[in-house]
Amino acid sequence: MLDSNTEENPILEVENLKISFTSDGARHIAVNGLSYKLAKGETLGIVGESGSGKSVSSMALLKLVPTPPGIYESGQVKFDGQNQNLLDLNESEIRKYRGKEIAMIFQEPMTSLNPSHKCGRQVAEMLELHTDWDRHKIKLEVLNLFEKVQLPDPNRIYKSYPHQLSGGQLQRVMIAMAISCKPKILIADEPTTALDVTVQKVIIDLLIDLNRENGNSTIFITHDLGVINQIADMVLVMQKGEVMEYGPIDEVFNNPKHPYTKGLLACRPPLDRRYSRLPIVGDFVSMDESKHEAYVTSLIQSDDTYQSHLQDLDQNPIILEAKNIKKYYPSKTNFFGKPTEFVKAVDDVSFALRKGESIGLVGESGCGKSTLGRVLLCLDQATSGSAIFEGKDLFSMGKKKLRDLRKDFQIIFQDPYSSLNPRMTVGEAIMEPLTVHNLYRNRAERKEKVIDLLEKVGMEPDHFKRYPHQFSGGQRQRICIARSLGLNPKFILCDESVSALDVSVQAQVLNLLQDLKDEFDLSYIFISHDLSVIKFIADRVMVMQNGKIVERGDVESVINNPTQAYTQMLIDSIPR
Amino acid sequence: MKSLFYTFLSSILVLVSAVVLISSIIYLAPVDPARLTFGQRTDGGALERKQAELFLDKPLHIQMLYYLNDISPVGYGDGVRYKSKGIPYYKPFVAEYSSGVLFKIPYFRESFQSGRSVSALLIDAIPKTIILAITAMMIAIFFGVILGIIAALVKDSLLDQVILSVSVLGISVPSYVSAIILALVFGFLFRDYTGLNLQGSIFDINDIGDEVIVWKNLILPAIALGVRPLAIITQLMRSSLLDILTQDYMRTAKAKGLTFKKVVINHAVKNSLNPVFTAVTGWFASLLAGAFFVENVFNFKGVGGLTVNALINYDIPVLLGCVIFVCIVFIGINILVDYGYRIFDPKVRG
Repeated sequence: MLDSNTEENPILEVENLKISFTSDGARHIAVNGLSYKLAKGETLGIVGESGSGKSVSSMALLKLVPTPPGIYESGQVKFDGQNQNLLDLNESEIRKYRGKEIAMIFQEPMTSLNPSHKCGRQVAEMLELHTDWDRHKIKLEVLNLFEKVQLPDPNRIYKSYPHQLSGGQLQRVMIAMAISCKPKILIADEPTTALDVTVQKVIIDLLIDLNRENGNSTIFITHDLGVINQIADMVLVMQKGEVMEYGPIDEVFNNPKHPYTKGLLACRPPLDRRYSRLPIVGDFVSMDESKHEAYVTSLIQSDDTYQSHLQDLDQNPIILEAKNIKKYYPSKTNFFGKPTEFVKAVDDVSFALRKGESIGLVGESGCGKSTLGRVLLCLDQATSGSAIFEGKDLFSMGKKKLRDLRKDFQIIFQDPYSSLNPRMTVGEAIMEPLTVHNLYRNRAERKEKVIDLLEKVGMEPDHFKRYPHQFSGGQRQRICIARSLGLNPKFILCDESVSALDVSVQAQVLNLLQDLKDEFDLSYIFISHDLSVIKFIADRVMVMQNGKIVERGDVESVINNPTQAYTQMLIDSIPR
Repeated sequence: MKSLFYTFLSSILVLVSAVVLISSIIYLAPVDPARLTFGQRTDGGALERKQAELFLDKPLHIQMLYYLNDISPVGYGDGVRYKSKGIPYYKPFVAEYSSGVLFKIPYFRESFQSGRSVSALLIDAIPKTIILAITAMMIAIFFGVILGIIAALVKDSLLDQVILSVSVLGISVPSYVSAIILALVFGFLFRDYTGLNLQGSIFDINDIGDEVIVWKNLILPAIALGVRPLAIITQLMRSSLLDILTQDYMRTAKAKGLTFKKVVINHAVKNSLNPVFTAVTGWFASLLAGAFFVENVFNFKGVGGLTVNALINYDIPVLLGCVIFVCIVFIGINILVDYGYRIFDPKVRG
């Protein structure tokens, strides 16, 4: 990474950028007075929670914020020492900068590529647009780019459609597209948030390498300070459209001035210590600075407490026992539609969950962890095996009995945006399972219970009548949690329940889940690709690879002394 | 994707059920087809002979089995009837005059009305209807997609409102109404300017008795038939494109530096055609239903005209022949939809 002089030679100068949005006649400010300078070859990390204006401010550099509803209120964006303000350019003038001078990589590689064009063509289009090369030369260059971003078998990728590739591969295609015209600035907007931690590490390493090789400047946007640490030279922390802190990476990390930055740094679950509760950003901001250290220390759980907790768990009865569960999907069928080959999504998995225990199930996407979860809850039929829930075999049970039993085990999904019906008020959504299972005597009593639940998950009683779109991702996940708690379940399956949330929100939701576990005497199976989350929430962990459990044990010993290379890789890829 | 074998088997099943259902409705009507073939004056003996020839003296289910046996390419019998009607058949296992399994060209019997073979009538009529249907559909797709794109791009403007309102009108007007209006206005009132005929088929007989192709007779029926699908495609295309324009990859395309025109044409249109394609293929089949009325209005002698005539005259073999043809078209299109998806949506291709 370069340590050049920002004052002399900035490639980009942003001054007092102010952007607002209008909705229903009201105007709210998304970015308020943002100023920074980006030196040649430098990597600037912009950090903030969702809604902090970090993405909008970067899209604005290329005038990609749609107007309306967006309004460029004021500000100067100067590129490469030119006197021209990019914000004053019209559509056809700014187009010359897009892709050629400043290129972007987006968050969701799966949806950011056109599903009906081949990957090669989508990259080639960029070169066709900005160079006058012939087709043959362009194709060679695209293959060359694919090689550069370390895609296996460039010829195959060239001819592949996006749905045929994995998320990590698609993000490499996006990167290849972005660097194809050798832009002077690369804007990476949460490029790894939608990816597994293992893939995230590889993508970040790739970006660092490319940066070094091409000498371009990078703006790296993320909600996760841990990621920034690996890649950036300068950090800019944003909250609600305003700059909280701006400075060299070492300074911000070792000596954060703003309590908000301190909170962000602390709230990511660490691997080297065990918290009983995670520190919360809000607590840092509201607390006097001198108390910060004592606050963090008070949350740490000692190893003795953990060990005695494990011993206590061993006394508890087994609530759910999985025996030799297998789930095969047919991958090839013969002429008569009969399957001839199978994909072994879950291959002979057995384990026991005790009352009050949380088991973490960790692995990369596609390892079968979600399928195992679905099979356990009888949302999918197992190929063979059995699941004994309080002495009764779920798989051989009649449909009616199973339906009655369903209130004892609940699930919280990954995406709080799509798992709530947008046309149902929050109250109705939480009340629905109560009505279905005919709990409580009448509507009034149910409503009372719902309001009680809303308060339990840290929401207000008057949220009852509101609709999901009025809430943030973290609040929605709280609503989903309230919904599953309503039936007084004995066991909850959390399927990547915090993966879609910002780290700061993730800490709050994890704390909530931890509190509820004690209060309601719950047992969890917690599915995640992130071992640091598992370390905080789980007592024991199972590491899953290709449908098999490759390693299991209590969280501390697995993380401190992993026996499998795969587990070690999962640990190494966690940003810190 | 279902296996080819399954698709084939279920198609045959659908076809047989359709024939059974339709023919039972027709045969249950209190009309004696044998008497229809003779007109007013006949003696009892001739009538009975005719009834026996048409198997009308047999119970209904036996009649049905005989009919199914006739139209199936693999049947059972001695083949004498087929020989007398000039239907080629091949009976490999048994002697010439004994009954056995035989392979043949499907035999649809003869029209009660004209005595011509139903196969010949259909072969005559099918190309006309196919030409009409394809022309109508091309008009509908071409203008529907273009109007849909325009409406989506100028969303909420006056032009968008106009296109939407007119398309609602187009959906609600039945094809026989639009057919009559079109025929009256362009084939009668403004005939001097348009030079179009009020009625007429695409293959006509000229003054010296030769068959000639009269392309202009295709214009009005095709438009009349295309109005409804055109209106539907316009609306589908509009909403589909509006949806696609909010997708993440539109932002990517814009960030590449593409012009708005290229973003729309290269990235949005093909993706938004997918739901439109599904609807169009579905409508292509129901289009044939509209063709029945339109062909009747314009006296366009395709399958639609043939069917309506057969219904009026109680010409059962012709009617059943037409029904089977329509069934085959529906089934064929549904299979094509499954495969056609793969062209437009690479995800289905796997």
